[in-house]
Amino acid sequence: MKSPSPASINILSALGLALAATLAVLFFAGAPPLTTLTVLFGGGLNSTASLLKTFSSFIPLFLCATALLATYAAGLWNIGVEGQITLGAVFAAGFLRLPDPGSFPPALALILALTAAFAGGALWALLAGALRVYGRVHEIFSGLGLNFAATGVTLWLILGPWKRAGMASLSGTEPLPEAFRLPGFAGKPASMAGLVLAVAAFALVVWLLRRTTWGLKLAAVRQNLKAARLMGLSPGRRMLQAMALCGGLAGLAGGLLVTGLYHRLIPSISGNFGYTAILAVLMVSLAPSFVPVACFFFAVLLAGAVQLPMALELDSSLSGVIQGVLVLAFLAAGRMGIGGKLGGKLGGKPGGRLEGRLTGDTT
Amino acid sequence: MNRERAVDVFLSHITKRYGRILANDGVTVALKPGRIHGLLGENGAGKSTLMRVLAGHILCDEGFIEVDGVRHAGLTPGAAMGLGIGILSQDPLDFPPLAAWENFALGGPPRTRKQARDRLAELSESLGFSLRPDEPVERFTVAERQQLELARLMDADVRLLILDEPTTGISPEQKDILFGILRNFAANKGRIVILVTHKLPEAEELCHEVLVMRRGRLVGSFEPPYDAGLLLETMFGPEAAKAATEPEITGQAAMAAIRVREAAAPQKAQAPALAELADAAFSDEKSALPPVSLSLRPGEVVGVAGVAGGGQELFLRGLAGLARIRSGRYVLGGADMRGQGMAAFSRAGVHFLPASRMEEGLFPGLSLADHARLGFPRETGDLRDLFTRRFVDRFHVPNQPTAPASSLSGGNQQRLLLSLIPDDTRLLVAESPTRGLDVASCVQVWEHLHALAAKGTAVVFSSEDLDEILARSGRILVFFNRRLTADTPAAGQTVRGLGRHMTGRAAHSATKSPA
Amino acid sequence: MDVLAATLAAVLFAGAPLALAALGETLSERAGVINLSVDGTILFSAMTAFVVAQGTGDAWTGMLGGALAGAFVAGVLALVGLWLRAPILAVGFILTLLCRDLAYFLGHAHARQPGPDLGVWTIPVVSDIPFLGTVIGRQSPVVFLSIVAMVAASFFLRRTRAGLHLRAAGESPKAAFARGIPVERLKVLYCLVGGAFSGLAGAAYSLGVKPGWGHPQGAEGAGWIALAIVIFGGWRPSRVVLGAYFFALIQVMGIHLQDFLPGLSSTLFQIAPFPVMILTLLFINIRRSGRFRDAVQQIPLLGRLAGKPPVGAPGALAGVLDQDAA
Repeated sequence: MKSPSPASINILSALGLALAATLAVLFFAGAPPLTTLTVLFGGGLNSTASLLKTFSSFIPLFLCATALLATYAAGLWNIGVEGQITLGAVFAAGFLRLPDPGSFPPALALILALTAAFAGGALWALLAGALRVYGRVHEIFSGLGLNFAATGVTLWLILGPWKRAGMASLSGTEPLPEAFRLPGFAGKPASMAGLVLAVAAFALVVWLLRRTTWGLKLAAVRQNLKAARLMGLSPGRRMLQAMALCGGLAGLAGGLLVTGLYHRLIPSISGNFGYTAILAVLMVSLAPSFVPVACFFFAVLLAGAVQLPMALELDSSLSGVIQGVLVLAFLAAGRMGIGGKLGGKLGGKPGGRLEGRLTGDTT
Repeated sequence: MNRERAVDVFLSHITKRYGRILANDGVTVALKPGRIHGLLGENGAGKSTLMRVLAGHILCDEGFIEVDGVRHAGLTPGAAMGLGIGILSQDPLDFPPLAAWENFALGGPPRTRKQARDRLAELSESLGFSLRPDEPVERFTVAERQQLELARLMDADVRLLILDEPTTGISPEQKDILFGILRNFAANKGRIVILVTHKLPEAEELCHEVLVMRRGRLVGSFEPPYDAGLLLETMFGPEAAKAATEPEITGQAAMAAIRVREAAAPQKAQAPALAELADAAFSDEKSALPPVSLSLRPGEVVGVAGVAGGGQELFLRGLAGLARIRSGRYVLGGADMRGQGMAAFSRAGVHFLPASRMEEGLFPGLSLADHARLGFPRETGDLRDLFTRRFVDRFHVPNQPTAPASSLSGGNQQRLLLSLIPDDTRLLVAESPTRGLDVASCVQVWEHLHALAAKGTAVVFSSEDLDEILARSGRILVFFNRRLTADTPAAGQTVRGLGRHMTGRAAHSATKSPA
Repeated sequence: MDVLAATLAAVLFAGAPLALAALGETLSERAGVINLSVDGTILFSAMTAFVVAQGTGDAWTGMLGGALAGAFVAGVLALVGLWLRAPILAVGFILTLLCRDLAYFLGHAHARQPGPDLGVWTIPVVSDIPFLGTVIGRQSPVVFLSIVAMVAASFFLRRTRAGLHLRAAGESPKAAFARGIPVERLKVLYCLVGGAFSGLAGAAYSLGVKPGWGHPQGAEGAGWIALAIVIFGGWRPSRVVLGAYFFALIQVMGIHLQDFLPGLSSTLFQIAPFPVMILTLLFINIRRSGRFRDAVQQIPLLGRLAGKPPVGAPGALAGVLDQDAA
């Protein structure tokens, strides 16, 4: 028998840790553990309809996680993805509201709408990027603040200028005409075009980061901002580029949500996909090849969680709990070095006193 | 603990490993009461590691420390202080934003603010310091920070005082004051001083006994009168010792040094200036320099001296385009650089070599080949070829293109940085280019910098080592208290003379120099 | 006059939980630990405090429960971020999302139910003084708690030996270690203390300022504001609390303005503090920049206003949240 690899021991121990923590949470909530987990995992997989639901979450999630790879590569903490999705949705919806949309062929109008979505998301991200590069406002604060601001913009549009004829309602704007909806899949609003776009975006980003000088420059900025500046790599510009790419892809996800899923602009259209994508990317510790797996897993949880209130009178936020617990467990297992190599690579024995920091040089 | 008794310290077989590097390799030393011990060795010999083990800052892997006949396998900083062992670190280990009295009180016995201030005043008085108790330490000079630390150690009544390269960043006069205090300290109650240094004259001047370390081992112990040649040979090994003592005489370097001096000679002054500062005032986030005017000519090698915090740091950064130009003009190759970014400076042929090489110059996690790719973006040919030709063959960077920069030793870090300097650089600004390097690396750095100068690059460098400035430059700038106090040809200058400029006493001492 | 007094009273009330959370984070960051989980901690402890208060029938037991819940979350941060040394910003952020969802999941059964709250304290003599009585004479206990916490934190940091050790550990961990101060232990300790403060803030919401538990709880986003306030207040308790009142004022103004501008949704006023948060951070960073100081010093009168360079982050955190411009 071959002994299991260090990485797989890490993964198993993380999963075990996460399962234990989840069971503890379920115990506290007084929920039946087995039934709950069955609903949660089965709800997203047990029928074609639920699989399609899973896919409709997977597409925006995967696009956003892909987007985040670009900013993480540059060492940026872009937590403004939610807002960038929202602005993408606003721009797409706005474009399709332009007077006389019939003058475009629907396919072209959709392409232009998605381009507008990309631009909207990029713009919102560039705002956070500019605040960081020129205003020294950390992107955690600007990103978060802009998330709330984006929510404000959507609400204002839905209740104000874009309200449905005769009534302002939180249920959203007037639905899009049929022609401006992305073709569904087996009658369900899970767009094949979206999936293709997400996979293409993933391939493009991974190629950019791994194979191009631009990707290397981002890595340099992440590694050492000061050195990047000295070497004339214009770190500020690189950061803005990474933000724009990330925001653009997140905006694209927003555009897909409008044209492919909701067919109108609704409040909180970003649906927590931005935050969930951050968790997914953190869970696989930025190893791009596992990003799709993590996203799919999280999408299953999201789809299953929707059924919790109906089936068991539990809050659907359980999916978020499990996601958070999993990511923490993965981080912890990676650091505990159970699997040796990964733990060792990330450095340092746990809990040691400051010794390591006091021994910077050996003069 | 009876602090009146003479202290008796014995280090036995101290071994400390950092990864593959053996920083201390079975070092055994007996320290004798009432003596000042010099601990000599070149950079990287393991001196600081040994002292940190003794002061409890790090644990050794093997060996033990015996104090007053009691064995200790490892000490913590608190335990070491309890035994009366105190260390004055090379970079002051203090709390810059905290007031002087708070720095003084930290780690000591519980005291009220008033008690701490009174005690500090009392000690300052007896030691001849004037330290402002309520001022944050970040506004102190390095010498003052050192004095505050000394006062704190005296207050703790240490019996074994370790000083790690205490003369770095202070002026020769401040050094004299410090040495006086150390002599008094050791003469009293059989206490011990260890002076860690890589400067031979200091050890000769002060120490009753000199211990020499090389490559992690204790390789010799000497008593006065010292044979300088023998000491150097013990420190560096026979070959390198020659290079360390007589840099000008080795073939290439000698030629370079002559050219350097020639470039500074008056007849060359007519050559068109490469860079011209006209009342240029540099500022960064924390500080500002008053306007400076000077011009730099191609091929000049300019050494910049000053005590730490004297303003030379900001001057160098301003020259390299890393600080703002508040007012005035900085003309480089015919264009005013005021308001220009780093990219414009790069295009104008300016290159900066930072002193903290890993923190500011390199990307720890990126491979050596990646550094080559980033440094020479226009290189279209095979990168491997460039790496072998330039980095390995010419600059002796390790031939491991996929190894991360973080695996490099200090010398190899500087070699990598040297190979990243474009050959057509017109102005090279180098911040302490040899800090912390072993002799062979120092020689290589200077060979390359002088070679660049010979081809017309203006080289401006700073150094904490006045001997280095005197030996390597054709022209010297001195900063004191954020002002340029001297701009003079190197020929005819002495360490003492520069020291007076560095402490602002040049005019003062000139009047009483007949004495 | 009455309007002013009522507004001030409302600001003190609305600012109390913000002040508590920001004070906790101040202690934690001064010791060298950035705890990004504040927002989630507030929600989780708000839920815990409400459930405990409901179960025991005593709001003060609920406060204690909230504080313990906050310390528990900080304990997880300390375990994974300090002891296992996982990247602490990431751990804090994950915890913020996790605790938020955990609060909604575990609190589901207790949502929109009646429960005890902390009520109002009437201060005997003060409440009869005309203006002052309205402002502070009849107030929620959380207002007094926040003021006491500010004075205590300020005194502790400035005047006590333990406070000096805390600052030393956060300013230069290496130097503190070299002087025998148990840096890692202090970091864990003040991480827990800071978490407990955030827990109190959460309890202050669910038992005082926004009583009850629901989905969404009105306190969402408050933790992020608190984090920004710490920077805004330059890591000094008194200024941090002033910052909390400033943001409370914006919220209170929003409620007032709603009466005058009915066309705008109340939700829009709820999000108003966030753009303001960005602008305040932008403002203090511009004020800190040398370029700004140079420019201001050219103008005679303004030059004095620029004054000394403002206090930066504790040494151990320098560059983490207020990094150099690229």
